[in-house]
Amino acid sequence: MSDGAPPTEAESPAAHDQAPCGLMQTAADGTFLWVNRTFCNWLGRDFDALVGRIRFQDLLSMGGRIFHQTHWAPLLQMQGSLSEVKLELTRGDGSTIPMVLNAIRHERDGVITHQLAAFVARDRDKYERELVQSRARLVMAVAESTRLQAEAKDRALLAEQMIGIVSHDLRNPLSAIRMGVSLLESEPLSSAQRNVMIRMSRSVDRAARLIADLLDFAQARLGAGIAVTVEPIPGLHRLIAETIDDLALIYPKRVIEHVQLGSGPCSADPHRLAQMLGNLVSNAMAYGSPDTPVLVTTSIAEQSISISVHNGGEPIPEAIQASIFEPMSRGANTSTANRSIGLGLFIVGQIAKSHGGQATVRSSAAEGTTFAVTFPRELLR
Amino acid sequence: MQSFHPHGWVDHWGEFVVWARAEVHDSDRAAHAWFALLQRRVTVHAMGLEHRNNVRVLGDGPATIIFSHGFGCDQTMWRLLAPAYSKRYRVVLFDHVGGGGSDLGAYDQGKYDTLQGYTDDVLELVEEFGRGPVFFVGHSVSAMMGLLADVQTRSKFAGHIMVGPSPCYINDGDYIGGFTRQDIDSLLETLEGNYLGWASNMAPAIMGAPDQPELGQELSNSFCRTDPEIAKQFARVTFLSDVRRELPRLETKTLIIQCNDDLIAPISVGQYMHRQIPNSTLQIIENVGHCPHLSSPGPVAAAMDAFLAVGGV
Repeated sequence: MSDGAPPTEAESPAAHDQAPCGLMQTAADGTFLWVNRTFCNWLGRDFDALVGRIRFQDLLSMGGRIFHQTHWAPLLQMQGSLSEVKLELTRGDGSTIPMVLNAIRHERDGVITHQLAAFVARDRDKYERELVQSRARLVMAVAESTRLQAEAKDRALLAEQMIGIVSHDLRNPLSAIRMGVSLLESEPLSSAQRNVMIRMSRSVDRAARLIADLLDFAQARLGAGIAVTVEPIPGLHRLIAETIDDLALIYPKRVIEHVQLGSGPCSADPHRLAQMLGNLVSNAMAYGSPDTPVLVTTSIAEQSISISVHNGGEPIPEAIQASIFEPMSRGANTSTANRSIGLGLFIVGQIAKSHGGQATVRSSAAEGTTFAVTFPRELLR
Repeated sequence: MQSFHPHGWVDHWGEFVVWARAEVHDSDRAAHAWFALLQRRVTVHAMGLEHRNNVRVLGDGPATIIFSHGFGCDQTMWRLLAPAYSKRYRVVLFDHVGGGGSDLGAYDQGKYDTLQGYTDDVLELVEEFGRGPVFFVGHSVSAMMGLLADVQTRSKFAGHIMVGPSPCYINDGDYIGGFTRQDIDSLLETLEGNYLGWASNMAPAIMGAPDQPELGQELSNSFCRTDPEIAKQFARVTFLSDVRRELPRLETKTLIIQCNDDLIAPISVGQYMHRQIPNSTLQIIENVGHCPHLSSPGPVAAAMDAFLAVGGV
């Protein structure tokens, strides 16, 4: 069989005929010169129906025939051999059977013959089809997830823009209400009326704070962070002490202690510092145990300053700590009257960032909860 | 390295204008299209055609012969013809982008979604590497790229030699292309549905050919290796193309080399082309298969020589 000529009886013994693979010999144009019994059996075609009658490529699907012409034949010509080509062959009953084929080209005395070996590849074919299908499903899933992500992003952006617009527009009517309340307060009022006025006045303050938070949130999310106006602060401790005095009026039943460490000038945005402290103290009042004092520490070190607020009570679960400076995250205890819409700590974090520093939290059952903001001492240099 | 061909520039410019008009309300996308346009221009400048199309220039002579391979393999297909012609002519070999040793990074799905993308490349190659009269030898679909390049520019070509060409592979009324739309769809489905099978076909492992030791070096190559996605797109572009309307517009002398037994380009197609191309000669040679330049190089060379001799080169 190796000399390229059609095998004689002696050269194609039963061993070739019943080899565990399909064996073929064809002329250069593909006409079958010999096929073994295994190939005939796989194909459900008789030896006599193949040899001398049809060409190898006649057994292929149309796509396979084009491939045979554009790839198989030139490759066999140029390389003298090819291997592991998978093609669908048509059986006698019209069904198809996938086969993996190797081929060698022989030339002897100017006569060219091709020898082919074939293996049935049903399992490989099935497996590959499954791979192709899962690949297609994966591509679709990725596209779908990308689309959903983009949609969600768009929706979030729209929501944030609306928050910015609405909170901005709410400020004017609120100013009018505030002015009206202070006008009415200067009128002679009954004791009951005065109580109502006080409650109204507090509610207006609270609404104003919420709107300010929302505006800061929108600005931080949509713009380049919260704007700060840094100015020299000769006495940080005094500034914070004054803010604590203001806060003490809001929480008359609670104790706020102030520890002052270090001394000297620094720079920061005083209004933002007051806002930050307000948010932290309000948090401490809301979530800390009411029977322990809230401890504010201002500390001036050589290179940095820090402001921390400590409260006792239940610690913040660790799972929440990691994302506590993200918007809308807060502890489980939200039943108190002082609860906010969950922007307070986000704004604290953003203010720290705008000062070139950062906000951190430490919380455990033994030590209680401490929020600290640290940033460089001199931002003006 | 080479001057940017105005034709390609105009083509991309048109693309940009379309973008800019359609997206006039969307300045970002228009700007993006503009940037992409500039980038493409710069890319062509920087890398050159030589790298993009894996161009090889052999020999020298009074005329240039450019050999252009078809769907399937690469410039290696011309190995039995090119060396002989390089003794008398300047021979230019190249790979279409996406095939052989071309720069796969230059493959642009938009550009190569029609024959025009390949045609633009052919024009750039003729401009850059053609010296003296240029003869274009195109196999199969490549012959149509040469034809399109000619009718779009005129006077760049001295002659066309078309090996197994077909202007349209699908039967259409009286026209017999050899395939039905279903055949082509089934081919494309086979390509789409047998990604891995075809991927392995595109890069077959080499068994070795002990009786042909002279091929030792080349055996390390796979002449038909292509990215499967690119192969599928090229198959679609090739087998769904229809350039029949352009045939009568080709005025350049043309030799059609037609095999007597070719599945991809049946004899009726060769005869049709001969009728439609005014200045054409039809030479039918004895050959089974679609690649006579590999399986019957002698008769192909004889037909080419006669054609070139009449042209006086």
